[in-house]
Amino acid sequence: MECRDLREMADSFLAEELLTETNHEILRHLETCRACRADVAARRAVREGIRRAVQNASSLDPRPEFIAQLRTYLANEARHLPVRRGIRFRGWWALAATVLLAVALGLAYQGRDWIAERGALARAAVGDHLNCALHFRLAERPIELEEAAHRYGAAYRVLENLPPNDVMTAVGLAHVLERHACVYEGRRFAHIVFEYRGQRVSLLVAEIDGGVQLALPGEALPHVTSAGRIADISVVSFRASRHMVFFAGDVPQADLRALADAVAEPLYRGLVGA
Amino acid sequence: MVQQPAPPADDHVWAAFETEALPHADRLFRLALWFEGSRQEAEDLVQETMMQALQSFHRFRTGTNCRAWLVTILQHVRSNRRRARQRSPLVEDPDNRMANTIPFVAPVPDTLTDEDILGALGRLPVLFQEVIMLSDVEELTYKEIADALAIPLGTVMSRLHRGRALLRSELGASKAGIGNRRL
Repeated sequence: MECRDLREMADSFLAEELLTETNHEILRHLETCRACRADVAARRAVREGIRRAVQNASSLDPRPEFIAQLRTYLANEARHLPVRRGIRFRGWWALAATVLLAVALGLAYQGRDWIAERGALARAAVGDHLNCALHFRLAERPIELEEAAHRYGAAYRVLENLPPNDVMTAVGLAHVLERHACVYEGRRFAHIVFEYRGQRVSLLVAEIDGGVQLALPGEALPHVTSAGRIADISVVSFRASRHMVFFAGDVPQADLRALADAVAEPLYRGLVGA
Repeated sequence: MVQQPAPPADDHVWAAFETEALPHADRLFRLALWFEGSRQEAEDLVQETMMQALQSFHRFRTGTNCRAWLVTILQHVRSNRRRARQRSPLVEDPDNRMANTIPFVAPVPDTLTDEDILGALGRLPVLFQEVIMLSDVEELTYKEIADALAIPLGTVMSRLHRGRALLRSELGASKAGIGNRRL
């Protein structure tokens, strides 16, 4: 190993991020190279100095009462958390039944494999809600809606301003926290995250694979055509031409429907016109 | 009649959260204050982070690094707040911008005070402060940093490399009486 190689890897060595074999090579080199020993020692001193300086900085101490207040606040909030018993799919049959009913009534049915596709989309939408809005574990970084509109189509641009940042529903205010486009399990969504009923709630719009432009008669407005629960998350959806619109969140079904009702009409018109 | 508080929906969740997550609130606050520079902002940020962590705690995998999980949520909340305050325009990638501007790295002085180090760290571009803080102070792995900041692993490594080079340069400059104090 050359000195230059070691200097390149010195920080990773100190962070214990290297393979065992590489560590051994470095240790062998350090045994014989005084300059590199000094370099590694200086790097270690800076790392330790940063940790010590930040941890000792009294200017960064929280107010003594803040942690106590935070604990009290969280303990109180914990009393209102829903009881969870692990991941369940108990609502899936209700969702599937509603979808079937909607189809039977002739609501927005067109194209083959429609039921399976909508079911898969619904599951992906809930997965995106859980992994993007709540758990922050997406493989691919979200991008701005403007960029998504440029790359993937005008529908994303519609979501830049619709719904507005504050939506008053029949049961309370929904406030937009975030708008972006993200990908979950190969499905691309326009994703709007609301703070609503004390929870994070997602509005997700996805293009239906091979979807055809639906021409609904006259001034027809969207109906919420399916509602149910997937993985303990309430889901409400409707179709807007070539797009499916999903609302997903850990709130009562009725509250989610109220949000969907409040934003459906302008959103539907925007997406159909996109 | 005194109204009794509602019983906890699940005592085990709160007990586990109190044991696993709450002890990190202090360090989370220090990190938040470093980045935000305002106590009020930092307190709001930590409260929202901990609230979201509590709501999502059933998804936390016991045995994994809880502090890294909390830092990931904190960074996400920060990112959302930035976006909410102003539509974040697409900016030139500072990684590229900084690539050719790292000056000659002077030897790090032997005697450094905490003030020297904090001042030098505070003068770095925020992107470099983030990775250095998460690596050296929070002791997150590169993978955990990549998850927390939603950036590729290679970007974490290159930012650390450049950031540390800049930091050493700043530390040399601080002893020479150059630079501005942050704290």
